[in-house]
Amino acid sequence: MKNLLAVFGFLFLGVSANAQNVPTQTDSATRIEEVKVIAKRKIETDMKMSVSVDEFLASSQKISFIKRGAYAWEPLLNNMGTERSTITIDGMHVFGACTDKMDPVTSYVESNNLSAIDITSGQEGSLHGATVAGSIDLKRKSTAFGLEKKWNGAYQTGVEFNNRQFFNLGNLSYSGEKFVADGSISFRKAGNYYDGNQDEVNHSQFHKFNTSLGLAYKTSPLSSIRVDAIYDKAKDVGFPALPMDLWLSRAMITSVAYKQLFEEGLVKVWDTKFYFNTIEHYMDDTKRPENLVHMDMPGWSTTYGLVSGANLQRGDYSAEIQLNAYDNLSIAEMTMYPQDRSNKTMFAYSWPWVTTRFAGLSMNNSWDISEWSRLNFGGSLGLNYNHSKYVEFNWIFHPGTPQEKCRILPGVHASYQLNINQFDFSVGTGYGHRAPSVSEAYGYYIYNSFDRYDYIGNPDLKNEISYEANASAGFKSERGALEATVNYFHIQHYIVGKILSLGSPMNYQSVGVKGYTSLNHGKLFNATLHANYDIFSHLHWKGTLIYARATDDNGGNLPFIRPLSYQTSLHFMHRKFGIQTSLNGDFAQDNYSPEYGEDLTPAYRIWNISADYTFDYKGFKTVLQVGAENVFNQYYSTYADWGNIPRMGRNLFTSLKFNF
Amino acid sequence: MKKTLFFLAAVCIAVVSCTKDKTDYEAEIDKVITEHTVFKEAAVIRSEGYDIRIEALNGTFYNGYNEIRVKITNSQTNEKANVSSVTYIPIRTNADGSEISCPHQYNLVYRAEDDYFSGHSVFTSESGADGSWTLYMSFTVGSQTHLVEDNISVQKQPNKNLNMTSFIGKDNEQYFIALVSPQKPKVAENELVAGIYKFNQPTSPPSGNFPDPSQFSYTAVRGYTLQLDPRMPEPSMGNHSSPNNKDLTQYEDGLYRGIVNYTMTGNWTLNFIMLNQNGRILKGAEVPTDFTPGVEGVKSELHLDILF
Repeated sequence: MKNLLAVFGFLFLGVSANAQNVPTQTDSATRIEEVKVIAKRKIETDMKMSVSVDEFLASSQKISFIKRGAYAWEPLLNNMGTERSTITIDGMHVFGACTDKMDPVTSYVESNNLSAIDITSGQEGSLHGATVAGSIDLKRKSTAFGLEKKWNGAYQTGVEFNNRQFFNLGNLSYSGEKFVADGSISFRKAGNYYDGNQDEVNHSQFHKFNTSLGLAYKTSPLSSIRVDAIYDKAKDVGFPALPMDLWLSRAMITSVAYKQLFEEGLVKVWDTKFYFNTIEHYMDDTKRPENLVHMDMPGWSTTYGLVSGANLQRGDYSAEIQLNAYDNLSIAEMTMYPQDRSNKTMFAYSWPWVTTRFAGLSMNNSWDISEWSRLNFGGSLGLNYNHSKYVEFNWIFHPGTPQEKCRILPGVHASYQLNINQFDFSVGTGYGHRAPSVSEAYGYYIYNSFDRYDYIGNPDLKNEISYEANASAGFKSERGALEATVNYFHIQHYIVGKILSLGSPMNYQSVGVKGYTSLNHGKLFNATLHANYDIFSHLHWKGTLIYARATDDNGGNLPFIRPLSYQTSLHFMHRKFGIQTSLNGDFAQDNYSPEYGEDLTPAYRIWNISADYTFDYKGFKTVLQVGAENVFNQYYSTYADWGNIPRMGRNLFTSLKFNF
Repeated sequence: MKKTLFFLAAVCIAVVSCTKDKTDYEAEIDKVITEHTVFKEAAVIRSEGYDIRIEALNGTFYNGYNEIRVKITNSQTNEKANVSSVTYIPIRTNADGSEISCPHQYNLVYRAEDDYFSGHSVFTSESGADGSWTLYMSFTVGSQTHLVEDNISVQKQPNKNLNMTSFIGKDNEQYFIALVSPQKPKVAENELVAGIYKFNQPTSPPSGNFPDPSQFSYTAVRGYTLQLDPRMPEPSMGNHSSPNNKDLTQYEDGLYRGIVNYTMTGNWTLNFIMLNQNGRILKGAEVPTDFTPGVEGVKSELHLDILF
């Protein structure tokens, strides 16, 4: 499996050393260790050590974001939205409960309960279920058994001055011979932020509380059982780009897993997990005086499922097989009130109790043909079933459409990697289907404040079929590396919203009705050029250039495609000091799409700087960081900022982290 | 370990319970609307050895359209009387002494399969201090015709989906439109059934026993079209409408049928334009179709308000 984590390039700050200091034991502890070590990365970016999950994801070249405020950004993978990617937590499927995508799965975790985020592009990401864009798997922290140091922990605190964000993040783990525990707790509280013109962006505050607990027990030298839970609560979250805010959202994400290791034979590890998660999400528009009418938009999403995977290895061949099965029920309501709340004027389901059941088997294989070359291949076959309980809402625009729908979602992929001296190359291809999302198939009058249309789902949409090709070429030397990657997606039956001539809008700010329809096809092309060079042993340079282009079947532009963008950074380390500076920006978005509510977004350039100092405080390894983002206080918004809301102006931040 | 698990489970349950209750959609519609499907006795007249039973839905005469079923039995034997024809005229006596009727079927039709005489009556107002309703009926057994009358009570129709309206058309005729079905609409394409009636102006002065049917004659209009544009008039709904509606046209049973597509529950207005058999507009006008949030939707001069 080609793990794109490799392109992240995060700082290592010592925790991985813990993991490697395992006493030489012959039992499974060592091996459980090894499985874990792969994913031991720090959730922090070059610039900032205390980041939110969103900020962390933003540092990946594959990810861009649709932003509706300061909170809960929607990740776009390969310039494709969350309905085209699978986002999982340790392979568990979680579905947001907001019809307007204000709660991507990434908003229900916190950086201190994650150990890594695996981003896999295209069909290679089909291990966790059918996808087009790829997969984002959020890896939870899980401490190994029998560490020499039984107690480990960290505490971070800090302030972001622009929006007066205060955060406190703590995590603690215990590692015994037979029992381990991981716990984390975090609080974030932020006020409104100020844009580059020093104007306050109203309704951009947020409050988040997140806690997690994981307990594992070694049932035998080669097996263990693990119970995990995450609880997340966001309250009073403003969305400046929307006519409404979030009053409350809560998520409870739980799982029980059993892991069995095998010392001999083809199968090395078998890991099975049952999971259950439930999300409630309540939008609130009563804090907006401009709303003469109020609409309650509660949403609920409940998922339970099974993920069972095995790692196989024999000689030059290794493989992962995974069974994914889940059942999700998505419910969303709309109720409108005039000023007098007792006089309800309408009620409808925006998700009419839609059940999605998915079962699929995926496999990724890797065969080292020779010392220089490797063949990766795999595929997945899934069965996707939908049922709409109150199908009458779907019948309004699609009379007589069946209440149930079953889809078969196949996917295959193959890639070849070649290493010749300092050069490495890869070529790959993929083919896969995805089913329309709940909103695309069954959504009803879902208001999109970007183009100001009410969206209607179509249960009869065809599967989106992706034909994908990718290639990369790289060169590595002692002091630097250069890598170019490209991928191309030809997506048949590309799903977009098209204006419906019939139908009348309903939401207060709406201008019309759009129905989800399939284009004949859409084409997306992504290219990345990445280089890094060690100028001196303590001075490192990195630079990235990203280009994307996407068109529909008429050659028109598709929306939310990032214009040419760049990032360059310098990192200097000396003894206990570190100093980093980065410059990033987008060129003007010339290829925008007025049809989807976009306008030309001008170019912008942001300069950031930060410095950190590591010292010992009463036996704790302590890091202090201060920095500034958007040093020039540029007023800007990006191509994917909902309603062109301005981004944050100059932001000074400081954070302090204790490790023990 | 066990304790922790137990604690975790307890936390789960506490947390999983929802903050806001989900709307019980089916129950909500039931709360707004009671659907009546059973015919019960609404009036009984005992006269000259016969019992005349008049049945209506829910055993009540309502303002608006009422289907009526008449069963006549011999009082002594309690057996079905051999009735050959039944006539029916409802008369309203207003407080000022004036007498009017309402659209009704004068000659009831015998339905052999269910063994009753069938008709309808569109009561234009409920009984009250300003007027009362009397039924004048006749039935023929053998060669003998019996005349009977009875005071009845007409109740207000609580279900707005069975609303009615009366108006003077551009041809100076008096028309009545009464909704017949659906009693309980769904968020869906509903078959909308309505009766359209016209008062036939008497051409000669009254004669014979009161009431003279020629003075109180109503007929269902033939070959008209009722153009339909349903909208949500509340300011908050901004004149919202729906796709796939169909105008009402006449069917063999004399009633008019079309399709109304309700996209959500709430207050709706059925805006109508009534055209005669020659396509001439007799009443109603097109309403603005713009989406105007915050502004109350303009209603056609010919409309019916419904709620579900």
